Amino acid sequence: MDIILGYVTTILVFFFTYNIFTLGLNIQFGYTGILNFTVITFMAIGGYVAGVLAMPKAAAGSGIYYILGLNLPWPIAALGGVLAAGLLGYLIGQIALKRLRSDYLAIVTLATGTLLYGLIGNGTSIFDGWQGLFNVPQPFAGFRTWTPLGYSIFFTIITAILFVLLWLFANRIYKSPLGRVMRAVRDDQDVVEAFGKNTFKVRMTAMVIGSMYVGVGGVLTIAYITALSPAGWTTGETFVVWAALLVGGRGNNFGAIVGSFLVAVVFNEATRYLPQIPAHPNLIPDIRYVLIGLAVILSVYFRPQGMFPEKKNTFLEVPLGDSSKAIEEHLGGLSKVGEQ
Amino acid sequence: MTTISNDQSTPVNVALEVESLKKSFGGVAAVDGVSFSVEKGTITGLIGPNGAGKSTMVNLISGALKPDSGHIRLDGHGIGGLEPHQIGARGLIRTFQISREYPDMTVMENLIVSAANQGEKLINVCFRPSVGKKRDRELVERALYTLVTFGLYPLRNEYARNLSGGQKRLLELSRAVMADPKVLLLDEPMAGVNPALIEKLGEHIVGLNKELGTTFVLVEHNLEIVEKICSKVIVVALGTTLAVGTMAELRKNQAVVDAYLGGDVSERVGS
Repeated sequence: MDIILGYVTTILVFFFTYNIFTLGLNIQFGYTGILNFTVITFMAIGGYVAGVLAMPKAAAGSGIYYILGLNLPWPIAALGGVLAAGLLGYLIGQIALKRLRSDYLAIVTLATGTLLYGLIGNGTSIFDGWQGLFNVPQPFAGFRTWTPLGYSIFFTIITAILFVLLWLFANRIYKSPLGRVMRAVRDDQDVVEAFGKNTFKVRMTAMVIGSMYVGVGGVLTIAYITALSPAGWTTGETFVVWAALLVGGRGNNFGAIVGSFLVAVVFNEATRYLPQIPAHPNLIPDIRYVLIGLAVILSVYFRPQGMFPEKKNTFLEVPLGDSSKAIEEHLGGLSKVGEQ
Repeated sequence: MTTISNDQSTPVNVALEVESLKKSFGGVAAVDGVSFSVEKGTITGLIGPNGAGKSTMVNLISGALKPDSGHIRLDGHGIGGLEPHQIGARGLIRTFQISREYPDMTVMENLIVSAANQGEKLINVCFRPSVGKKRDRELVERALYTLVTFGLYPLRNEYARNLSGGQKRLLELSRAVMADPKVLLLDEPMAGVNPALIEKLGEHIVGLNKELGTTFVLVEHNLEIVEKICSKVIVVALGTTLAVGTMAELRKNQAVVDAYLGGDVSERVGS
């Protein structure tokens, strides 16, 4: 029973974390049309910064090197990680959002992510290079004496609460006037600009908020696994988040959840039970990528809007009861509308 | 470079003034010292043969391109060299040659999102959602009346991408109305539109001009509609002002006739 519960909690933590990534990308791409091809870099920065803020100073002669090591309490470390991800979003935005859009923007984000990957991997004194951080203290581990399962359940609850809050906030943005302007920017940036709105600012807002979302996911990842190394955030991982959003339905946060469930839980867990082939240890993860790629191809081919397409937004016209009646009268049974 | 001047020499009844505006691409002077002024509350036509520099002028006035030299003034304030959104926020709204609706938003959303000050600040989203909701109610009401005026009311909850070409033209115009522009710069609004709808769009433009006092600048190739609704017409050729007057006057102007018929203009532009 405990084993099953432990397994379920792990899947749930993974699922909620993935949802947070996908929500972040949805704010950037689904709402605003920003092609962020380095989603996973923000997860890494969020995780690493939270890690080095929470960890004690690197012991001399231990062979592990990392910056800071401030031994801060977890809530502060987590906040630091999220802010760092947001700051990185701001910096990349300054380079990429000012003059670039669509594919050029995508190339710049991908290039920036690759640069950071090389920098963090090879720069051993930043986040311990390719080896990565490990033995990261877990949040509230000393709060009481936890059984491993008890802690897993506790962590799942924290993750779930964060997910719900972030989900509510993402929906609130979507329905707000800001979200509406974001979607207009996605549809035609030049027109929004011509209508007197600073589209750079709108896109930057989406970029930073989305990056902070992904940063939250990164903080949760390192806090749960207690380790993070470049092997855990290869470029391919970015496209798994993209796959989740595209298959689920961009612009629709519910679609983002379904996509995350499919990609992060179904594909990931189902492929885990495939028989290992000793001569090809990498075959299972590769099969996972193949399946995800297949899902994207099928989805783009048969259902380009995703499984749950963006919903149509209507406006409440109820307070206008009288005027709507007046409008109907004014129309006077007009049957033909506009001109062909 | 242009200076953002606050030139008081502009007469008070002038909405838009362009003075010695120049813009070159490489060695080609697309706009070569054009000057004209548009009086407040008028519908002014801007015509000229292909290659005259009309589109470049529209892009310069709306901020999509930065002028090499010269002045552009909106209500006496220099706007040359400003960003497009700054010019839009100052009350000069442009439309595009090809209809550019927001395809994945409804007709209603297309209108509402075009209004100024919707409460689209992040701080409102976080702490004061009621600001946006309150403004939305006003905007919904305005949008409904605008849609009725333009005959798009029954389509209000349809995705803009599903509209016909003509309906998209009407949507563009009704969307521009939502922004409460001082000057509405229409870039070939009649392009690819059937004669019946041209008539109707013309009526809408005249109606808006009368009811709201909006100043219109109409860049157009359809001289019939220009003659019908524009009180003043500016003819440009080779990036400079060729003539100004009513359409009837211009028809008698040999230089204008030559420019439209080609002659030496096409030789020089075509090279």
